[in-house]
Amino acid sequence: MTGDTHYDLEVLAELAEGLLDEATADQVREHLAVCDSCGENLADLAAVRELLASVPVPAMPLGVAKRIDQALAAEAERLTLGAPWEEITPEPVPADDRPAPAPAEAPADAPAEPVRLGVVAEDGTVVPVQPKKRARSSARRRFSARRWALTAAAAAAVVMGGTGVTAGLLAAEGGGSPEQTYVASEPTGTATAGQPSYTVYASGHNYTSEELRGPLLGYFGVAPGSGTADDESLDTCVRRYAELLDRPPIGVDKAFYNGNEATIMAFWEDASLNAVRVVVVDANCKSLRPQSLASWK
Amino acid sequence: MNSPPDNRTATSRTRTALSDADLLNRHLNGDRYAFSELVRRHRDRMWAVALRTLGDPDEAADAVQDAFVSAYRKAHSFRGEAAVTTWLHRIVVNACLDRLRRKTVRPVTDDELMEVAERESPVTDQAAERDISMEVTGALRLLPAEQRAALVLVDMLGYSVEDAAAVLGIPVGTVKSRCARGRAKLVPILAHLRNRSGFARVSSAKGAELRDG
Repeated sequence: MTGDTHYDLEVLAELAEGLLDEATADQVREHLAVCDSCGENLADLAAVRELLASVPVPAMPLGVAKRIDQALAAEAERLTLGAPWEEITPEPVPADDRPAPAPAEAPADAPAEPVRLGVVAEDGTVVPVQPKKRARSSARRRFSARRWALTAAAAAAVVMGGTGVTAGLLAAEGGGSPEQTYVASEPTGTATAGQPSYTVYASGHNYTSEELRGPLLGYFGVAPGSGTADDESLDTCVRRYAELLDRPPIGVDKAFYNGNEATIMAFWEDASLNAVRVVVVDANCKSLRPQSLASWK
Repeated sequence: MNSPPDNRTATSRTRTALSDADLLNRHLNGDRYAFSELVRRHRDRMWAVALRTLGDPDEAADAVQDAFVSAYRKAHSFRGEAAVTTWLHRIVVNACLDRLRRKTVRPVTDDELMEVAERESPVTDQAAERDISMEVTGALRLLPAEQRAALVLVDMLGYSVEDAAAVLGIPVGTVKSRCARGRAKLVPILAHLRNRSGFARVSSAKGAELRDG
């Protein structure tokens, strides 16, 4: 190639980047040796690099930095929805998100707030679970170890798929030894087509912060999900978080957290990393602790 | 306090001495201030990337904010083998590219390039850096988003081709080729800056004559 045909800027730029194959590169270099115009273009390409590098790099304006800090604070708040010890803006609870009425037979020493987690005793009556075993670590540990076996065998696992299911509450007899009394409820409801279904367990386990770091599979991922929705307000609450986080939950466990009745929800954060996001809420769908990440398996 | 005991043990002094990866871990473990420290460390860099890639301060502010919030949320997806900075850069660049694509910036035609190149520049030789910055920003906006992102990282901010490849998640050769094509497009657009500061220093006088002849 000689003087009358020039190489375009792109070819010259590729030559400069070493992107041309050896034969082509040699041709272009031969041409450059005799063509000032192309030589000038090559110089212009280098000049563009210099020009780009010469543009000063400004620091982030304070206003933008402040705005980002605020956005992150809001995000932190969002993740700790209504955590009671944080005294942050209360999360609005939609009207249809009220707790279910407490069972009529609630004993006198039941917590003041409505008791939602009830259990069906052998005679078929509904009895609320009482969170008696609070924060006694030895008992908790024993409880934890024992329930592993029980979970697979008898954890009440239900799939909530639809709304409007009013079937009975899950069973255990009183608060004394809930780990012995889980009864798998019979499926009575059908999942509404198109709605994400998820598995609900009622382990009654009293989770500690440490346990909620995972792995969680042993707590409420063991038994295959079966059964039915038992609680519309729980379903609403779960759906709300599912919507907020834009993903369906892996599992939902009606249990305790540091002695307080709580619903634990697990959402995949990144399945390939074995990371799940843990949401802990009370009966009013109010967050009991900041959302956190846990391992699943 | 029901919060986990490891939540707030770090003082801000120890926090500033921690590595990026340590800070990210602390964030994942509930340290509310660890992520702020990460932001403080890297925000200027992220701002530069976003501002140059998007060419608009308002857009850049939105993109960086989105990116930091996104990083805050998906901190667990950070993989140890990459540098935290690379990971943050990638999130910022992707936030920028998303914005650019959403606005469907159409590629510039050759006719438009020529029109811009032939435009008379009213700016004098005393043109301030700010003008050059604006000219370059305007020129970059005419490039396809991918080429722009590569040029911003490599030519404007001085990242190695390897680092840019890691940030962009593409092979080194692709970075080089995007840079090459981007530079080729910028030459006619920025030709009128040839007599000013950076451009003039590099372009030879001989070249300037030949180019017009």
